[in-house]
Amino acid sequence: MDMVGDKDKFELENRNEEDPMNFAAPSPSPSVDWRFGGLVPTGNPMAVSKGSTSMVVESFGPTLWDQSQTANPQNLGGLFSDINNVQNSASTSDTLGIRKGTPAAVASLPTIDHKTFDMGWNPTSSMLNLKGGGGIFLPGNGMLPQSLSQFPADSAFIERAARFSCFNVNGGNFSDMVNPLESMGGTNYFRGGGMMQEVFGANGQSHSQKNEMMNVDEAFKDVSMSVGEHEHEHGATGGGGSPLKNVRSHDEAKQGIGVGGSGPGNDSDEAEFSTAGGQDEPSVLEGTTGGERFAGVLESKKRKRSEQDTELDLAKVGPQQPGESAKDDTEIQQNGDQKPTSTTNKSSGKHGKQGSQASDLPKEEYIHVRARRGQATNSHSLAERVRREKISERMKFLQDLVPGCSKVTGKAVMLDEIINYVQSLQRQVEILQSRAGPSTLGFSADMPMAYPQLHSSQQGLIRAGLSGLGSSSDLHRRTMNSQLTPMTGGFKEPTRLPNVWEDELHNVVQMSYGTSATPNSQDVDGSLPPGHMKVEL
Amino acid sequence: MRHPISLKQEFLKKWILGLQRCGFSSKKSTSIMERKKAIKLSADLAMASTRNGTTCWSRALITNASRDHESKILAQQILGPESQSLKKASSTMPPVICSRRIRSKKILKRSCSSHVRRVRKIALPQKVLSANSVAKRLVQKRTNILKSLVPGGEYMDDISLIEETLDYIAYLRAQTG
Repeated sequence: MDMVGDKDKFELENRNEEDPMNFAAPSPSPSVDWRFGGLVPTGNPMAVSKGSTSMVVESFGPTLWDQSQTANPQNLGGLFSDINNVQNSASTSDTLGIRKGTPAAVASLPTIDHKTFDMGWNPTSSMLNLKGGGGIFLPGNGMLPQSLSQFPADSAFIERAARFSCFNVNGGNFSDMVNPLESMGGTNYFRGGGMMQEVFGANGQSHSQKNEMMNVDEAFKDVSMSVGEHEHEHGATGGGGSPLKNVRSHDEAKQGIGVGGSGPGNDSDEAEFSTAGGQDEPSVLEGTTGGERFAGVLESKKRKRSEQDTELDLAKVGPQQPGESAKDDTEIQQNGDQKPTSTTNKSSGKHGKQGSQASDLPKEEYIHVRARRGQATNSHSLAERVRREKISERMKFLQDLVPGCSKVTGKAVMLDEIINYVQSLQRQVEILQSRAGPSTLGFSADMPMAYPQLHSSQQGLIRAGLSGLGSSSDLHRRTMNSQLTPMTGGFKEPTRLPNVWEDELHNVVQMSYGTSATPNSQDVDGSLPPGHMKVEL
Repeated sequence: MRHPISLKQEFLKKWILGLQRCGFSSKKSTSIMERKKAIKLSADLAMASTRNGTTCWSRALITNASRDHESKILAQQILGPESQSLKKASSTMPPVICSRRIRSKKILKRSCSSHVRRVRKIALPQKVLSANSVAKRLVQKRTNILKSLVPGGEYMDDISLIEETLDYIAYLRAQTG
């Protein structure tokens, strides 16, 4: 049910692409407050319905986006509480209305005290009120905008909402979840991490919750990915990445997020906002995260986000620069970073993580790489991983280019095929050139015309020549070929063949005739049927 | 691929131009080898000009061509006016910069290796380790071969080597029609 509910949320989220507020440009304004208020229209405690939860998630998404760069933990807490309450409530229309994201919409919400929302989130007092779906959305008047900005990613909201729904299912007790909020008090509580800590602590189901959260994380990850694709390429993905980014170290987040936001050239406020919010959030979250289990969960979230980030960032950058510039390292990084990164669920150390952003900035000479989940965060291994990914990405391009390489996997075999192909191409070119020499003398006046003929005939000859190219000393054959070319150059006039070479020429001409039937085939096979070899000689 | 058709046309035009300027139409006494060289040179320059020095192999080709006095003139003719600046840049750039890069990387590796040893590595079973090393050696061997094949490839690192190979394959395919 939890996962299903989450999926529903995701679906709804995806469906709501047309929603203007959806993951759209986050407007850092206190107006976000009312959104949360709107989320708790009714006071049904445990009436968690799929529709409502999904709506809640949706509404949370835009709210998250709208929040600017104020990193106010209280807002986060309020958000979480909102989620809880929303889940409790079954009002979907209101949430949608909230989505529209205008204070006017807030006014439409009957059960919410819009004024309070506008003022901001009241930290704990409002949380206390949330019990049973009350005033959780009023965490703190001034705090809300700031904290909300910390969660620009709607996907992050989805995640948390899912978690809370999980909690509901597990504990089935929103009050328990709310209680810790009360006890928290202060700013710490409302920080995202703090929230989770408290919730976990209150329920005492840390493990199960963690598991669920992990599952939810994965689900969210997928959703955030898909969501990003659907709705806002950059923004959503940036947003999805930002919450995890937030959890990371300040420097990483700031570097990575800032760079990432500017790197892909996102003009959307969303992306920038999410990245900016991400910057603020880590500072807040890091301060609050305490217990190991929470840290573990957060780390897992971080890593998942980081993976998403790397993927998304890379994906963002990839389309923009279709991987053909090899000028700067940064450019190469950008181009080469279209990698579908696979995520693992191991836990890795916090230290050494670096924000990875495929940066557009030409000034930046550093390539920021973020450690993915379950991978070593040593700087060397990070660099190695980046390098490996670059290489594998480029090998994929080569696979398309080199015939017969689609089934081959692995660097060594691929390189082998590439080498063979390059060698065969070089030999072809050599033969063509040697043949073109004598022929050009004879057809200098008609060179442009002769070229297509040459090419077609040469193709056949090349094929024949290739088959015989086993020895390095092909001079004899080449001279033969070169002398033959003037005759075969005149492909349309085989009668010109000199008598001296008549026998061989006949064979060659036959071959060229045969090959001319397929003049358009540009793939030269290194291996010709053995008959050709014999014919040529 | 960058518009293979237009690439070929461009290449053909310049190739013909180079061959004509080589004195192909008039000289009939040149040996086959000379002619072959001229053709190869013209082709190289024509292709290199299409890339305008954006790729390493093209730069290497142009640089090599510019070294000889004879081919230098041809290179100038084919490449056109922009070749002047390109030649100056290309004559010093690829090998020097690449070797510099490689040198700096080596220094970096050496300096970092002292720290790397402290990092504990999870030991893999011996079979896996040896298989990995074998695979690495194979890859390294083939990379070296590829470097020898692609002009100007000796100085590049793996990543750019693959890009250059891509470009070079496109060039060869355009040549063979």
